[in-house]
Amino acid sequence: MASPALAIYAFLYLYPSISNLLYSTTRWDGVTKPIQIGLRNFTYLLTNDDLFMKVLGNNFRFTLIVVIFQTSLALMFATFLVKNTKMTIFLRTLYFFPTILSSVSVGLIWNFLYDPNFGFINASLKFFGLDALAKNWLADPKLALYAIAVTQIWFHTGQMVIIYVAGLQQIPSDLYEAAQVDGASRWQQFKSVTWPMALPTTAVVVAYTTIQTFRAFDLVYSMAQPASLNGSDLLVNLVYNSAFVGYKFGYAAAQSIYLVILVLLVTWLQRRVLKNKTED
Amino acid sequence: MKVKGLKTFGAVATVALALLATSVPATFAAGEEFGTTCATEGVSTGNMTTSLICVKGSNGKLTWQRVRLGANSGAPVAALKAPKGTIEFHHWRPEDKVVLQSIIDKFQAANPGTFVNQVIMNSVDYTNLAYSKISVNKKAAVFVTSRGGQFDQFYNGGLLRDLSSDRYIKQNVIQSALTPATVNGKVYGVPYQSLFNNPIYNTELFAKKGYKVPTTWTGLLAFCKQVKGDGIIPFAWPAATRGNAGQILNSFMMNSAPLAEVKAHVAAIESGKEDLTTDWFKGIATKYKQMNDAGCFPANVAGYNDTVAPADFASGKAAVYPTGTFGMSTVTKLNPDMKGKMGIFGLITTDAKPYYEGITNNTFILSVNAKASATDQNIARAFISYLTTAQAAQEYAVGTSQHVSIINVDYADNIDLLNTSAIMGKKLLLAPRFLFTNVNNVRNPLEDALIAIGSGADINTTLTNTSKTIKQGIGA
Repeated sequence: MASPALAIYAFLYLYPSISNLLYSTTRWDGVTKPIQIGLRNFTYLLTNDDLFMKVLGNNFRFTLIVVIFQTSLALMFATFLVKNTKMTIFLRTLYFFPTILSSVSVGLIWNFLYDPNFGFINASLKFFGLDALAKNWLADPKLALYAIAVTQIWFHTGQMVIIYVAGLQQIPSDLYEAAQVDGASRWQQFKSVTWPMALPTTAVVVAYTTIQTFRAFDLVYSMAQPASLNGSDLLVNLVYNSAFVGYKFGYAAAQSIYLVILVLLVTWLQRRVLKNKTED
Repeated sequence: MKVKGLKTFGAVATVALALLATSVPATFAAGEEFGTTCATEGVSTGNMTTSLICVKGSNGKLTWQRVRLGANSGAPVAALKAPKGTIEFHHWRPEDKVVLQSIIDKFQAANPGTFVNQVIMNSVDYTNLAYSKISVNKKAAVFVTSRGGQFDQFYNGGLLRDLSSDRYIKQNVIQSALTPATVNGKVYGVPYQSLFNNPIYNTELFAKKGYKVPTTWTGLLAFCKQVKGDGIIPFAWPAATRGNAGQILNSFMMNSAPLAEVKAHVAAIESGKEDLTTDWFKGIATKYKQMNDAGCFPANVAGYNDTVAPADFASGKAAVYPTGTFGMSTVTKLNPDMKGKMGIFGLITTDAKPYYEGITNNTFILSVNAKASATDQNIARAFISYLTTAQAAQEYAVGTSQHVSIINVDYADNIDLLNTSAIMGKKLLLAPRFLFTNVNNVRNPLEDALIAIGSGADINTTLTNTSKTIKQGIGA
C-alpha cells in the first residue's frame, strides 16, 4: 500500500530535492553543461554577497513581524469568535475572505491603497491632518518591507483565526466555569485557561506562519518597487531572480538550500520553546 | 561580383524610388490639419517602409508625402506555402491577441489543414520563463524574443534556426532592422516591431499652452519649470515600473559620449572593471537628479507607476509620457479623444551638438524553433513569411499601433502612427540600454539606482552601494 505513495513522493519531492542539492555545487546557466565547483556557491553567498545577507535580514524581520502580529491578532479575534452564533460565523467568514483571494490580486489592491498620490491610506492620513505620516510606502527602502508585512498580515490572519477557533473550541467549558466560580476576570481567564490550553494550537499557527512567511513570494513580486533598492526583497524572490532572470541555477540552488536550512532551524527553535512552555 | 552588383542595383533602386515620392491624396495633403507634427523636414536615409512623411515644399508649405523606398534585393515576395499540421506561437503581447488572431485566421484560410495556436504570457513572465518553457516544447515552433539578453540566450541554447537564405528575409524586411537578429552574418529572426522609445507629447496641450519641444538640456529643464508652474506634470515618468521607467536611460545614454565610448563603458561595467561612480555614469545619474530638482517628475515619483502615468497623460494632467510609441495604444484606449493628438520628440540631454536625435528599437524578434520537427519548422517559416507580407504587417501595424520593420506598409490608416512617423527622419540610435545584457546582475540594479536617484536618493551613496552589488553579483 505504501509503495505508490512512496513512488509519488520520491518522484515529486526526493528527486527534485536531491537534484537541487547536486546543482548547488555547480555553475549552471540552464543551457550549457553544469560545471562542478564544489562548495563555492555556499561560501560565496556567506562571504561575498551583501545582497544575500541583506535579503536574509529582510526575511528575519519580515517573519518576526508577521509571526508576532498575525498570531496575536488571530488569537485575539478567535477569543471573541469562539462561540457559534450567526454573528460570529459571519465574522469568521468575513475575516477568512482575504485568504481565498489570489495573492497577485491582493498585491494589486494594496498597491492602490499604498499609492503615495491617490491611495486610500495617504488620503485618510491627510484627511485627519496627519500629512507628515503620509509616506511613499512601497518605494521607501526603510518602509517597503513593513508595508508588505502589513498586507501579509491582513491576507492571512483570517486563516489563522479559523485554526485558533477550532483549537479554542476544544478547551473544556468546565475550566472556564471553575475560573468564574473563583472570581477570575476575563483577562485572568485568558491568562490562566485560554493561553495555556491554546499553546498546542499556537505551536501549529506559529510554525505554519513561519513557513508561510519564509516562502512568501507573490506579494513581494507584485508590490516591490525599484526605488526601494531591494529593501523589500525576500529570499524566495532572490532565488527566483538568480534562477529565472540571471540564469544562475547552481547559485539559486545554493540559496534555496540555505532557505530550507533556515526554515528548519527557526521552526525547530519555535517548537522547542513552545514545547517547554506546554510542559511548564 | 554578383553580390556587389545587386547591392549597387539596390542602392540605385532605393534612390530612384525615393525620387518617385508622390504627393498624397488631398485628404492627407493638408498637412496642417495634423498641427505641429507636420514640421519635420526630409525623410530618413536608407531603406524604409512606405509611409507618409511630413515634408516642406519649395514654397515653405508643410505637407504629408508618400515615400516609397525599396528593399536591397528586389521586390517583396509572397508568403511560403505551409504544410499541414499544428504549431504554437509563443509571444508576450496579450494586447495584440485579437489582431494576431485575425492574421492567423487568414493564414490558416490560405493554408487549409495548418493551424497556429497563440500561447501568450505577460511580458514579465515571458522574460523570465519563456526560455525554460520553449526549450522543452518542440511544438513551440514560432516564438518571439526581445533584443539583447533574451535573444542571446535563445541563440546560445541552439533554439534559433538560421533563416538567412529565406527570400522573405532579404526582400520583405527592412534590412537595417535585421541587425538585432543577426549573428556572424546569419539572420536568426525577424525583428517585427520598429519601436521609437522617445517621449510622446500631447500636441493639443502644447499648442494651447504655447510649449515648445525642448531641443537642449537647458531647454528641457526650463520646459519642466514652465509646465510645472502651470500645474501640469511635465514628464509622467513611471518610476515605480522598472521596465518602462528604464526607457529614458536610452536617451540619457545616446548623447552621453560617442557610441564607441558608450559601448566601452557598458562592457567595462558588465565585466566588473568599471564602477558606476566613474564620471560617465555619474554624469547620467546627475542628470536624473537635475530633472527631479527641476520638477520634471510628478510628486512622490518613486511610487508613480505605469497604471497612473498613461492615465495622467491621457487626461491632460501630464504633458509628456516618456516611454515610447508602444504606449500610444494604451493612451488612446484610456481616452479615445487623444487619437491624433500625440507627437514624439527625441529627449536631448546635452547643450552641445547631439550625436543622435532619438531612439529606435527593433524587437519582438520572430524566430523558428530549431528543435521543432522539420514539418513544424516549415509551418513556422511559412507563418513568419506571411507576417512579413505588406498586407499582414499593415493589419498588425494599424491594429496594434506599432510601427513595423516590413517593406511597403502604409500607416495612413492610423493617425498616431502617422504623426509619430516623423521621427524616422531623425538620426536615431538603436536603444543602447539593451547593450547591458546581464539583466539580473547589472541592468536591473543599475536602473533601480537611477530610479532612486531620480526620486531624490543621494547620488554617491546609491552609486557606491549599487556598484558593490553589481560586482558581487557578477562574481557569483
